[in-house]
Amino acid sequence: MAYKRQFYPGTTSPAKNRRRYMDPKVKLKKLRDVPMDDVIRIMGHRNPGEDYKSIHPPIEEGKEPDCPIRKLVVPIEGAKAGDRIRYIQFTDSVYFAPISPYQRAWMYLSRYRGVDTGTLSGRQIIEVRERNLEVMAKEMIDNETFDPALTGIRGATVHGHACRLDENGLMFDGWQRYQWDAKKKEVVYVKDQVAIPLDRKISVGKPAAHADLKKRTTIFRADGVDMRDDKEVTMYGLRIHKLRTLGGYQPWAFKE
Amino acid sequence: MVSTQSADYAGVPLPEVAVITNRLLSAETTEIILNRLDVIKGIRQIQMTGESIPKTINSGPGKGLPNNHTERRIINVNGREVELRYLVGAFYIELEVEDEAALDAKLEEIKGVLNECIEFGYTLNVGRYSKYKPTLHDYRSE
Repeated sequence: MAYKRQFYPGTTSPAKNRRRYMDPKVKLKKLRDVPMDDVIRIMGHRNPGEDYKSIHPPIEEGKEPDCPIRKLVVPIEGAKAGDRIRYIQFTDSVYFAPISPYQRAWMYLSRYRGVDTGTLSGRQIIEVRERNLEVMAKEMIDNETFDPALTGIRGATVHGHACRLDENGLMFDGWQRYQWDAKKKEVVYVKDQVAIPLDRKISVGKPAAHADLKKRTTIFRADGVDMRDDKEVTMYGLRIHKLRTLGGYQPWAFKE
Repeated sequence: MVSTQSADYAGVPLPEVAVITNRLLSAETTEIILNRLDVIKGIRQIQMTGESIPKTINSGPGKGLPNNHTERRIINVNGREVELRYLVGAFYIELEVEDEAALDAKLEEIKGVLNECIEFGYTLNVGRYSKYKPTLHDYRSE
């Protein structure tokens, strides 16, 4: 019998959103269109139009060792070209950001090939070959997992995810990579992800309304949807806790 | 971290009003609040805290570059220059009052100012939140 892939339990909106974000069959809504050149500028790994720094001589001309895994796995474009591995890192505010770091890891690993991702309390890094990274980064900035005010693109000094928002509703950033444009009512990036000033301001659009974010978020919160209100999610958490506590590294050995 | 204290220790535990704002305040709002509070008699000192804003980029490839944060600047409080190093999110207002009635009156005055200036709300508590006499640390620091 073949199992049908499941993603996350629960009936509440954060649980449903978690399932949606993780399921690779679901096409995420595109909310904005930040030009690719601007995405490249914000990441700051290369200048727009510049060649990718890849290994030389090209892989096709070099001698690769005879390896059964290489024959088995179809390489992603960047790996085929021998690109550098570069990164983008997002910080997600606890104030109902559309997604949070842990679900980002689930989403990345469920949706993309050839990625390495690391979860920290408030931020999520994704490392991948440069030309693939750029495509992914644009997707993630354009789609519904990104909110201009509550998601930050921060390569270093990411502090702010658990801080109070500022008066414009923006997540705190000590390096102020993005600012509030009061005239346009938009968020504009003035520095790249490691706080090197950009040549010009890059708009990432208008922040979503609080009510809308409450519907879109994957975050359970006492002042939003309490995790304890979702019986299935609570039972799932408790079951893992019980198996881990009583079964240790052999959860299968524990009999209820 | 709290801003450096501006007055000597009182020696006795005078009441302190702790105002924690629901949003971090811009330099402009902080300036307005301080100017409004500064004229209230009986306020001995105001200490502020919040999220630290570095002067320069302190790590990564841009290390050493000026931060140029719009909210890290010098504000003017009734003629005195105050350098803001934080996005302010809390005020600790030390009051020099004789009794409970005087304290209540001052609290009403302070609340009046805060209600007008703070758009997104705040919580206010009265107690003692910082030391009021020197400790070993102060002798060591001299």
